[in-house]
Amino acid sequence: MTVGINAFLLVAGWLFAIGLLGVLLRKNTLVIYMSLELMLNAVNLALVAFSRYNNTMDGNLFVFFIITVAAAEVAVGLSIVVALYRRRQTVLVNELNSLSH
Amino acid sequence: MTIAQSLLVVLFAPLVSAALICFFLRGRGVLASYLSVGTAAVIVFFSWWAWSGAGGESVAVSRTWLELGQFHIDLGFLFDGVAATMLLMVAFVGFLIHVFSLGYMKADKARARFFGGLSIFMFSMLGIVLADNLIMIFIFWELVGFSSYMLIGHYMETEAAKEASKKAFIVNRVGDVGFLIGIVYAYWQFGTTHLSEMSAIAGLHPEMLNWLIPACLMCGFIGKSAQFPLHVWLPDAMAGPTPVSALIHAATMVAAGVYFLIRIAFLFTPDVLTFIAWLGTSVAVYAGFCAYAQNDIKRILAYSTLSQLGYMAAAFGLGYPGIALFHLITHAFFKALLFLGAGSVIHGCHHEQDIFKMGGLFRRMPITSITFLVGLLALCGVYGLSGFYSKDGILIAGSLANPSVFYLLFGGAFLTAGYMGRLFWVAFLGAPKSEAAEHAKESPLVMTVPLLVLAVLSVVGGMTWLWPETLGELIRADLDHLHHMEGYKAAHKNVLLFGSAAWVVGLFVSFFFYGVGAREDRLEKVSSPVYNFLKKRLWFDEIYNFYVANIQQRVADLLSLLDVFLLKGLIIRGGAGLVGLFGLGAKQLHVGSIHSYVFWFLGGLIAFWLIATGLFF
Repeated sequence: MTVGINAFLLVAGWLFAIGLLGVLLRKNTLVIYMSLELMLNAVNLALVAFSRYNNTMDGNLFVFFIITVAAAEVAVGLSIVVALYRRRQTVLVNELNSLSH
Repeated sequence: MTIAQSLLVVLFAPLVSAALICFFLRGRGVLASYLSVGTAAVIVFFSWWAWSGAGGESVAVSRTWLELGQFHIDLGFLFDGVAATMLLMVAFVGFLIHVFSLGYMKADKARARFFGGLSIFMFSMLGIVLADNLIMIFIFWELVGFSSYMLIGHYMETEAAKEASKKAFIVNRVGDVGFLIGIVYAYWQFGTTHLSEMSAIAGLHPEMLNWLIPACLMCGFIGKSAQFPLHVWLPDAMAGPTPVSALIHAATMVAAGVYFLIRIAFLFTPDVLTFIAWLGTSVAVYAGFCAYAQNDIKRILAYSTLSQLGYMAAAFGLGYPGIALFHLITHAFFKALLFLGAGSVIHGCHHEQDIFKMGGLFRRMPITSITFLVGLLALCGVYGLSGFYSKDGILIAGSLANPSVFYLLFGGAFLTAGYMGRLFWVAFLGAPKSEAAEHAKESPLVMTVPLLVLAVLSVVGGMTWLWPETLGELIRADLDHLHHMEGYKAAHKNVLLFGSAAWVVGLFVSFFFYGVGAREDRLEKVSSPVYNFLKKRLWFDEIYNFYVANIQQRVADLLSLLDVFLLKGLIIRGGAGLVGLFGLGAKQLHVGSIHSYVFWFLGGLIAFWLIATGLFF
């Protein structure tokens, strides 16, 4: 049995939507962060699927880059979150509003 | 050393000297003065070197300084016979005046500034003399204006000097507007501003000449050489130190206007020449009358300078640029001598300048008095002295070309002898009329030696047959041209008779009218309306003051109103308000909640997508 490309894209779309809604609605910085990663992975999935069905390596190549960049980004991002917590004793975004006008 | 290199030394040595004085020697008057005088000597030496090296050949070098597409501004030298003659005169007279200043400015506190000013003036003046294109002439023309401003205002603590320096600068700018328009027009017409290229084009295509270009360029001459109606600045410029008056406002800078005319003589059309001839003639007579109502020894000489510049302009206008140059050179000798003599007198009398408070100086200051007398006789055109030959040339040219100009200039010669006689009889003879004149002493050698040298030059300077072969070609050519004209013999006899009569009668009339060592002006006593009329100088200053106060000021007020409402109110305040309003709106978006920022981001993304797909716009 073969799985069609539409199924992969559907899953990727759902994952992206979950990630986006997470970023839009959740208050905890860590969860927002995880949602961001989820969106990246949704895109990865779509790219791999395209790559497979077109028989080219272009999409896979992109995915490697995205994984590398995401790893670096996580290292920086998590340390910012830790530093933020040390300073403010909170990671909830509705309490991190001292930059408003 | 090539000629171009020695000319570069001539041009830049005074600039280096001025820079050194400005940056390092401002507090050291003695050192600064010796540096400046040394530079003047260097200029003399290298000028002579360049002239003897050129041997009468014309040397031209040019380098591009600025390139803007097709248009380029060049800097270069055009060292021909006229430039060599002028260069040697400026260098030598300038050197003598520098030496004289050593003595005259000895007690001055701001000596370094004065000598720095002299150096920067020499730089600017030599630039005009050597320049090979109109734009370069204009650059140095303005530099000369600046140095003149700086030196007139040397005694800046007096109100008169401040006012005079501003007046000289502003009046000159009025003339320079025309000059600048003339340069632009000349470039548009000929496609170049190089003197030699323009002259070649003008020679090949005489139909390209029109009266407007020389008329515009002439405005620069009118301002710089203080011709009617921009003559008002020169008498006031006498507020500067006397050596400055001698160097700038008698011998070199004011003559630069005439020199400029000679350089661009090929551009002139007959109607403009006629205009210049009449302009010069009217100034020659007008200034002669004005001098009778002046009591300040320097102002009398200033009006005399105006009148002699009028003679040069007349000679040029009659079509004899060589004779104009001739009179320029001889005038530089004897007028520098007269001004330095006046400086020596003023120095001896402890800064007394009123001739009716002098008197009896002949016995107390013999060298000054005798050299002054030599200069005076040369100015009056006594037979055999330098002034005679050049004035003779002008009068002969006048009598052959335009008799009415001749009669007016002859009248001017009579006036010259009259007011110079008045000056001499009153100030130098008789009994001293003030404490200062009583105790007058002869000036030191450093001041009298330049006087003696200039006196010798004033005597022999007019004898063109003594001049070196390679100097003054243009002068000799024009004189020869006169000699071979029809009716020269009769005209020469006539002019000799008239000219000699003019100075003899002028001196005698002033002698008997004013008397020796008079205490007050007899003209004022006998006929005060005439005296007061002359003192008003045709109300030029009053008219200009009225114009500035009542017309120009109104226009300026109107412009300032426009400035306040339109520029400041509408454009600047209005523009700032608009941006501020936008900022107020944009500030509302800055709420401090990350969630809203994500929404803005999403909105932005959608907007981009719409634009990229062409659904929007």
